[in-house]
Amino acid sequence: MSELASEQSSTVPELTQRPVDFTPAPPPPEEIPWHRLNPLMLVIHPAKELIRIVPVLVGLVLLNRSGNWQQWIGLGVVGLLLVRGVLHWITARYRITEEQVELKHGLLIRKSRAVPRDRIRTVDITAEWQHRLVGLCKVKVGTGRHDSGKGDELVLDAVTKTEAERLRTLLLHRPSAPSPEQATVDSPQETVLAAVDRRWTRFAPFTLSGVAIVGALGGTIFHFAHELHLDGGALGPLRQVLDQVLTGPVWLTVLIAVAALLVVVTIASVLGYVLSYWNFQVTREPSGTLHIRHGLINTRSVSIEEKRLRGVEVKETLPLRLVQGGRCSAVVSGLRTGRGDERGGALLLPAAPLERAHEVAAKALHEAEDPTTAPLRGHPRAARMRRVNRAVMSAVGITVLAWLASLVNFAPDWLWKAALVLIPLSVLIGLDRFRSLGHTLAGEYLVTRSGSLVRETVALRRDGVIGWRLHASFFQRRAGLMTVVATTAAGKGAYHVTDVSAAEAVALADETMPELLTQFLE
Amino acid sequence: MSVTEQVGTRLRAPRHQVSRKAIPYWTVRALPGWVVLAGAQIVFAVVPRGPFGAQPSWLWVTLAVTVLLAVAHLLVMPRWRYRVHRWEVTPTAVYTQSGWFDQEWRVAPISRIQTVDTERGPFEQLFGLSRVTVTTASAAGPLHIHGLDEQTARDLVEELAATTQASKGDAT
Repeated sequence: MSELASEQSSTVPELTQRPVDFTPAPPPPEEIPWHRLNPLMLVIHPAKELIRIVPVLVGLVLLNRSGNWQQWIGLGVVGLLLVRGVLHWITARYRITEEQVELKHGLLIRKSRAVPRDRIRTVDITAEWQHRLVGLCKVKVGTGRHDSGKGDELVLDAVTKTEAERLRTLLLHRPSAPSPEQATVDSPQETVLAAVDRRWTRFAPFTLSGVAIVGALGGTIFHFAHELHLDGGALGPLRQVLDQVLTGPVWLTVLIAVAALLVVVTIASVLGYVLSYWNFQVTREPSGTLHIRHGLINTRSVSIEEKRLRGVEVKETLPLRLVQGGRCSAVVSGLRTGRGDERGGALLLPAAPLERAHEVAAKALHEAEDPTTAPLRGHPRAARMRRVNRAVMSAVGITVLAWLASLVNFAPDWLWKAALVLIPLSVLIGLDRFRSLGHTLAGEYLVTRSGSLVRETVALRRDGVIGWRLHASFFQRRAGLMTVVATTAAGKGAYHVTDVSAAEAVALADETMPELLTQFLE
Repeated sequence: MSVTEQVGTRLRAPRHQVSRKAIPYWTVRALPGWVVLAGAQIVFAVVPRGPFGAQPSWLWVTLAVTVLLAVAHLLVMPRWRYRVHRWEVTPTAVYTQSGWFDQEWRVAPISRIQTVDTERGPFEQLFGLSRVTVTTASAAGPLHIHGLDEQTARDLVEELAATTQASKGDAT
């Protein structure tokens, strides 16, 4: 460990103070040269920004409409972003020294960030299509701190593919890199843990991703239409079709709507699957890194230090369960399971046959069997009542809200009647949620499962647990139940074992981490 | 290995109670919310012809209910809470018990502690109290000890500093 890193690891003695960002290091030896980002960024960046304002430009230039003030502000913002992009390229310099990766940039406010090399846990290389047109990619260097938002990352946007690959090998393959600036580009022997079979695209419609894609697409279309002042009603043929459908009998309208939605969602999810995972591959490199690559147009390559792997998670949506499919993710400290592009970071296998998901989980963990397949112990009967109650309560809540809305003429009268259907359905969901509940200790792993619409089974390494929360609401106490939460620096940060008996809750926590809880038992 | 067959599977309460001054502190802290809620209704009930026309007759009922709930909450919650809130630090772990209606027990090993913060809000300063927060590398696992008197909080922070310094590793 270098001097700086050992300083970083001892934030504890500086009490009453949150851990500060990585401070710039003491002046390093002068001979290591600074690199610039690739000059082609001067082309890519403006191109990316210009595409954002296409609807405004089309409105202004082609349709010869005078823009309103919001559009002018929009143009102004884009202009500022352009200037910022150019300034970033002009001022940004990075280099890799023996001890750390350094990046400095900024004109008015000069920023510099240094990440100690032995603190680097993940290297994430992404290339959007603009990048790929000119053979560049963006490199994100992560340190594995969990609770600090984006602050601990170092982003190089953008460098050439070869440079990115050089950085990746250099930063993660420490032993094999004698001199930092002379590392070779050739990647060492890899073993393939999993690759997506193109036939698995058939699982795509059973994920819930299609719904999300259609939602996002709808939003974009609405945005364009709004910018161009297009009225949905003005689209003649579409209007006619709609009129015919709406004047038909109600059941037919509903049927057509559902069918149309299913078709659109299916197409969207298949397209999404092909674009994201057509060439998905997980490999293990001898230096102890998992390397995940995927993406047809926008490509992504994530390298995770295996030491940071704390477990796996197998996710099955309700439709996927019907066709025995599942997804598998890694629980890694330093990779947040957040939203957007952060999300896919720890994905080990997208929707695929369930046994394949378990297979890659076992391989990633170096286990013979995936711990998430271990037989689970069920939860007490009282838990079933609670699951059903909660599901029904939310359905009743929605119905009451719809009814109140119809009282004040905010919603049509049939809405709350339609919502009544949810109540019997919610009983089924509640029962299924109870059926899903389960937990066990399987060797070195704490395994817990829950959920119905999305059933999640997590296997968390026992030594990855860094604390416990035992929660009992008033009603849980009356039912003799408790929820055990294992906190960890990885993945979601907390994994729940919902509604177990109080004795079982304490025993589970005690047995997972012997010696810790024992002193507080009676 | 059956988890249920163990003996001694009940958590005992942590050793130390928080300061008695926490009772008035929690009462005062809960007060503003109720004052706003009841105050708004009183204004509506008293102002003869407000911007919304004549006041509805049921306003007095909701006002009475609000006041009843407020009195019950302000009397019960702080005392109940005082009986629940407890904490303990051993050479290997920090252990807290908190809540009232919903209760929670939190345990963090000393070796996983990353930071220890003390905070004193305006109401806490009024009663000479401090709040100590112990964080680990998990975003979901901070331990809060509310309502400690200042001296106890200072001693606690020092004690934690001493014990954590002895342990190694990067706590993830």
